[in-house]
Amino acid sequence: MATLLAKPSASITFTFNGELISAVPGQSVGAAILETGARTLRVTRFENKPRGMFCGIGVCFDCLVVIDGVPNQRACLIEVRDGMKVNTQVGGAWSK
Amino acid sequence: MKIVVVGGGPAGLSAALNAALSGASVLIIDSNANLGGQYWRHLPASWSGQSELHLDLDSGLLLISSVISHPKIEIWNDAQIWNATHENGVTTLRVITSGVEKTVLSKTLILATGAYDRSLPFPGWDIPGVMTPGGAQSLLKGQGIAAGKKVVVAGTGPFLLPVAAGLAQFGCDVIELLEANSPLRWFKSLPTLISNLSKIGEASHYLSKFKKFGVKPKFKQTVVAAHADTNGVLVAVSIANIDSNFNIKKIRKVNCDLAAIGWGFTADTSLAGALSLKQIVTKDEGVAVWVDENQQSSIKGIFAAGEITGIGGSELSIAEGVIAGLAAAEFAGFKTKISNDHKKVRNRKRKFASALINSYPVKSGWQNWLSEETIICRCEEVKYSKLKFAVTELGATDSRTAKLLSRCGMGMCQGRICGRSVVDLVANEIGISPSDISDKERISVGNRPIITPISIELLANGE
Amino acid sequence: MIGAGVVGASCALALTNAGLRVLIIDRGPVASGTSGAGEGNILVSDKEPSPELTLALRSRNAWFEVNDDIGGGFELDGKGGVVISRSESGIANLRKLSKAQRENGIDAQEVNAAELKKLEPHISPTIEYGVYYPQDAQCQPMLAAAQMIRAVKKRGGKFIQGENVIAINSNNGEVTGITTNKNSYSSPIVLNATGTWAGDIAKLAGSYLPIAPRRGFILVTVPAPELIFHKVYDADYVANIASGAAELQSSAVVEGTASGTILIGASRERVGFKSEFEIPILRQLARQAISVFPILKELQLLRAYRGFRPYAPDHLPVIGEDGNIAGLWHAAGHEGAGIVLAPATAELITAQITGKNPFMDPTPFSPKRFMNQDPIAGGHIAS
Repeated sequence: MATLLAKPSASITFTFNGELISAVPGQSVGAAILETGARTLRVTRFENKPRGMFCGIGVCFDCLVVIDGVPNQRACLIEVRDGMKVNTQVGGAWSK
Repeated sequence: MKIVVVGGGPAGLSAALNAALSGASVLIIDSNANLGGQYWRHLPASWSGQSELHLDLDSGLLLISSVISHPKIEIWNDAQIWNATHENGVTTLRVITSGVEKTVLSKTLILATGAYDRSLPFPGWDIPGVMTPGGAQSLLKGQGIAAGKKVVVAGTGPFLLPVAAGLAQFGCDVIELLEANSPLRWFKSLPTLISNLSKIGEASHYLSKFKKFGVKPKFKQTVVAAHADTNGVLVAVSIANIDSNFNIKKIRKVNCDLAAIGWGFTADTSLAGALSLKQIVTKDEGVAVWVDENQQSSIKGIFAAGEITGIGGSELSIAEGVIAGLAAAEFAGFKTKISNDHKKVRNRKRKFASALINSYPVKSGWQNWLSEETIICRCEEVKYSKLKFAVTELGATDSRTAKLLSRCGMGMCQGRICGRSVVDLVANEIGISPSDISDKERISVGNRPIITPISIELLANGE
Repeated sequence: MIGAGVVGASCALALTNAGLRVLIIDRGPVASGTSGAGEGNILVSDKEPSPELTLALRSRNAWFEVNDDIGGGFELDGKGGVVISRSESGIANLRKLSKAQRENGIDAQEVNAAELKKLEPHISPTIEYGVYYPQDAQCQPMLAAAQMIRAVKKRGGKFIQGENVIAINSNNGEVTGITTNKNSYSSPIVLNATGTWAGDIAKLAGSYLPIAPRRGFILVTVPAPELIFHKVYDADYVANIASGAAELQSSAVVEGTASGTILIGASRERVGFKSEFEIPILRQLARQAISVFPILKELQLLRAYRGFRPYAPDHLPVIGEDGNIAGLWHAAGHEGAGIVLAPATAELITAQITGKNPFMDPTPFSPKRFMNQDPIAGGHIAS
């Protein structure tokens, strides 16, 4: 994935489904995940379909992920933080 | 009480600065981490140097820094209004910011909540890898990343140009740039085009970029289906030659990993609806907040500027923002002057916006791209067949009833993405032509008393 | 049939199945009144021994028969209900009520803290006493009305929407039909199933039905399936229903839905048809719900809606023939129990119209009980 050269160093580490990802301060969770090539952020609750980022600006609520145990977080809006634990949201907020 | 400006994009920033320059104290409430709205999305401050992918960014950054440094302007970022009411001349805004709820009262309000990409449903539009042009753009301008390597940009409207150019300049292979409408539509508005010569300069800037990066714009073509690989992510799209009604004439398939598709814009009128401001239907069948010559809405003391008064682009937004800021300051008791020049600029920009809308219509043939299985409501995964069932079998004759019987529009986004499409699809199913759809029907789609989700805990703890 | 809500649709279905041809007329779309603003409660748990309890018991079972008859499609779920209480007096009252309910045919099982936790893993640990009602159920009321009308249409009936009834026509004390703002329709039988607006329709026939609006709000959370499994509510709810007070009565009512969202109620006030959202009431509902299910703190409110329950001052529905005009029937005023009571209401109406024996004595519900009362302006009790 091509990236802009003017970037500061990736000094933040967080995990996505257990895998370590390096990110730049100010980056959104969604952008950092997309940069690794991953596309799927959540799985829908009726049909188990994968969803990724769609509108990118916080309007469509498709990019929902679980952050530190809290579901329904819009990955496009939330900035990365060191030590964040991000997981694919499967279904609604508390689906098994 | 301060003058409250909701929205920190071109319109909101212009309004806030002009109100403050007139002597008023201003509070800007913006839902993003940084000011600039969508149009002036930029890389975070911690990054060195800005992307050169944006034509107007310099003027935007200048305006932003003027606003930030103005002593009379207070700014709340990452702040979302979840509910608003107006009574006896005072507006109460209930805001969620940094995990707490705050209440703001104001006698003078300027709404500049902007717009977001309009999407049309089509088979496979829910596959990861299909985005809006605004989504691709916000990742590029705001995050410095491209959401794919092999890109198809499609839909209608001049917004496709900077998106395609930006991605190409970044290093993506923009293999298709597809404008659904014919370029000949511009001749319908030749005088307006001529009086806005800067726009021609802008267009040629993009065209030269395309030439440099080998992007070949095509007209009267569009994406009518997206396809996934075994992992469920985008691997190809079906591209169709379409007639002037958007009906499919011929289809071909191309491989890609990003499809950025958009059909103009939908104004974000939730706050306006919550305050029961008068709304109108515009020529693009969208909804806008009605304002008078001074950007004053139907409620005294509440002003509106920018895309929510009618989609028209950044220059019109700025022109409206200036007038709204001055008019609001005057309403709040400060001495200002709205000059005729201000209004002339705005009116000229409005004409151009109107010509734009004429050139980039969305024709109803898109409904023929759908299959029974096509998801109409993304949030609730409602298929076209289920929406049709609500009309044909369960007797819905308006979109609200169809929504309650099918669940379209009842999910997390509360109909922001599917609302307009549902109105068209329901009308089509009943046999009403698009031009006969009532204003009330179109306007009701954007009315949401609960504007954004609020945690039950915050709701419980507030006053 | 005037009214395409759940009660009207149920009556239309029962009458159609009894061989009559039914024309349903509504000024709006299906379920555009109170039926579109409820939770879809099918409860026996909140019924005190009364004719209403008898009606509810029969009606709850009738729902499952309707479901079989029309092929489902309205999310009917026999999930069961749990009523809880935390105060000494509340527990004592609940104990007494459940005993009386058992004596009247309701399955009411007392449960302790451990059993509560098995029924509802996320219930607050501060709750140590409850009663489990396996007969409680839920449906999606708009789909229920729409599906029943769909069946009516398939079986020869008709539905016209968008016409306002402006006159009920009669001759020599016998109904001959109705006139709307667009048309006139003749029939020897007219049924007023207009819920909160039934008093207005009755007035057209010179009759008096003191049915008034009782406003309620409902919160809808983001989708959170598999969190709450039954309808759960605080025993205070029963007292709220029975109260005649005009000011706000509210108690915690929480349940999930087939689509995964969680509904939070319940509030009752007499404020006429005031339709603005009252944020303090929404906050109170949230507080009460969190007190029963602390985990709700972590969900978000997605939307809220409000509706106007139709209630009669004696808290019994109005089911029966008009006292002035023969052939004019009323089926309205079910307060917050419109959904549960709809099919049995339909059975009572159908039995009386077709001259069969109703399954219970319908006299307590008769509209004639309001005859000789002073009519108040508008047919509504002033709030």
